Order: sequence, then structure tokens, then C-alpha cells
Amino acid sequence: MAEEKPRVGIISCSGEEIPEGTISRLATRRVLEMLRPDQTVTLCLPLFLAGGEQERDFARNHPTITVDGCDKRCAQCGTEKYSGPVSAALVVSDMLNGKYPNCARNSRQRGEVDREAIWVVAETIAAAVDQVLAEIGAAEECGSDDASCACSRPLPGGMIVANGQEVTIPALKMIFSHLVDTGVASVPENAARILEMVAVYHPIPEKEKGAYQEALLEAYQKHCAEA
Amino acid sequence: MKQTEQVLVIPCSGIGKVHGLISREATYLVTDELAPDQAGTLCLALLVKGDEEALERVRTQPCITIDGCPKACAQKNVALAGGQTDCAFQVLQVLKQHRGAQPGSASGLNEVGWAVARELAELVRDKVTELSGCEVKS
Repeated sequence: MAEEKPRVGIISCSGEEIPEGTISRLATRRVLEMLRPDQTVTLCLPLFLAGGEQERDFARNHPTITVDGCDKRCAQCGTEKYSGPVSAALVVSDMLNGKYPNCARNSRQRGEVDREAIWVVAETIAAAVDQVLAEIGAAEECGSDDASCACSRPLPGGMIVANGQEVTIPALKMIFSHLVDTGVASVPENAARILEMVAVYHPIPEKEKGAYQEALLEAYQKHCAEA
Repeated sequence: MKQTEQVLVIPCSGIGKVHGLISREATYLVTDELAPDQAGTLCLALLVKGDEEALERVRTQPCITIDGCPKACAQKNVALAGGQTDCAFQVLQVLKQHRGAQPGSASGLNEVGWAVARELAELVRDKVTELSGCEVKS
């Protein structure tokens, strides 16, 4: 019987009163759905109180990262109160460091600043997931390209041809859309930046970076032309 | 109306399903659009943490909870905090009127999801009117 791969639990505060709570919730969803779908799970924070032992065992059974909107650290405190110490505790206001002012609480008023902030936080969470997995010696085991998951649905991948090999990159279209949103033109001067962004989500072997860079630029130019 | 006199609308904001997002967006429709003076919200996580100020607010202000699923986390957490829920809504109450509807995902609502959220928000707004004794936007 195959040994179950370790997954990192991510618990968001989702604080309703502040925009950072909305950002914590959406960034966590992005990690679950797109950035680290095979390596992460989540649980509603209020279930620690309203639920039973099964929910309270959550952090005992998973290495856990909490994502709080503000320095009250409700997710961290609530999780540690009921389930024990967490592996990492992130705070949105610290991550954004005042660089994304006037974000909205509700999605009807969400704009470019909000989208940027969500990306920044999601990428930081994903990096923390990698670090936690590395610390427990499981990073390599969880580095599969297989993007299917029972508890969260990864976005479909996009295909490129690098060194004559077809490679599927999870959520490539969304990564490209993010690059477009942030004003990255589809010109050769930006090829390294495109590669760098994709490498956040997809492991790229060092010796193949040149071929990937070329293939990604071509795919990005095609994406921009179609958009 | 002072913040301490407002009706508290507290959603579960459940992160796993679209129902949690509907509860959250319905809350914002009430607090930001339909009854901004009469209704406010409170971080449910603060109650989970046991924050003194949050506990005091749910014990002294009228509370309406909106839950995404029958686990009723918002309603239960208000009760565990010593507050009294004056009215408890569940997203499924409204969703079952839209049999077969696909309201979106836990990350984003589609047109159907927004219609459900607004319908729910209007029910909550009516309850806010009743509890606050003030006329609110119709």
C-alpha cells in the first residue's frame, strides 16, 4: 500500500472586518487550487470551536501554516489553543508592508491593487509550504507533476515544447494573465522575468532553463496575441 | 448609529465551499450597501480566539448569523461566546429555492451566486430593520 504523501494544512483567519482578512482567504484558496494543490489542505477556522475532536486533531495530524490578516493573529492563536503549535505563522499586513493600500473587503470592489496583493500573499504562502515540506524531508516526494487532487481542483495546465519535449505547466494561462495584468510586455527583454515567474510554480531543471525561456516567451507572445 | 448599537451580521466565511463565500458576500451587501448605518460585522476568528472586545460585542449587541453549512459555525461560536443569535440564516435556505443552481466556487461567485447572495442579503436586511427599529434602504 502506497504511503500517503504529507500535506501542509493552511488555516486562514478570513477576518470579515478588514480587507486583509479577505486577502488571507483568497490567497489561501489560490495556494490550494493552483500553486500547491497536491501538497495542501485547509479547514475552516471556526470549526475548531464548533466542530469536534476530528477538527481539533487537524494541526496535530498536519504540519500547519496559519495566515492571519492582522497582528491579532486569531488563526495562529485559535489553532494553537485547540491543536498545538503551528509550523509557520504568516501575517498579511506584514507581508504587504503597506505597499498595497486601500484594498477592498468585498469582491465587488476588488481592483488591480487587490489582485496584486493576493498574488504576493499567495506566493509567500507557497514558499512557506515548500519550506515546511523541506524541513520534514518531503519536498521531493511531493514534487510530482500530477495535478489531480481530490480535495481541491487544480487549474488546467498549458503546454510548451522545450528541447523537443512537450511539457505541461499547471495554470500556465493564469500565470500569463497575471503577467499581462502587471504590464509585462511579450518582448524578448522580458523572457527572463517570464521564466522566473513560471519557475515559482513549476520546477525547471537548471540545464533546461534556456530552452524553457525560449519556449515560454513564444507561448506568452501567443497568449498576448490571442488576448 | 454608533458601532456599539449596530446589529452584528456574522458570516461563517467557510473556506472550503461556495456556500461560505455566499455568506461572506451577503454580509458585505448588508453592511456596505443595504444597511450600512444599522449593521456591522465582526471577525468570527476573533470569537474563536476569545478576544475580550469581540466577546463583549456579541453579548451586548443584536446578532444575526449566516452559515454556509449545517455545522453552523457562526451560530455556534456566538453561542459559545455567550451571545444570543437573534436570527440564524443558512445559505441553503435560499439555495434550495434555486434547485440545480451552480453559484460559482469558494473563490468567486458567478451571476447565479451573486443573485443568491443578494436574495439572502435582502432577507438579512429585513431582519436588521426589525432588530434596529430603523428604516433601511429597500
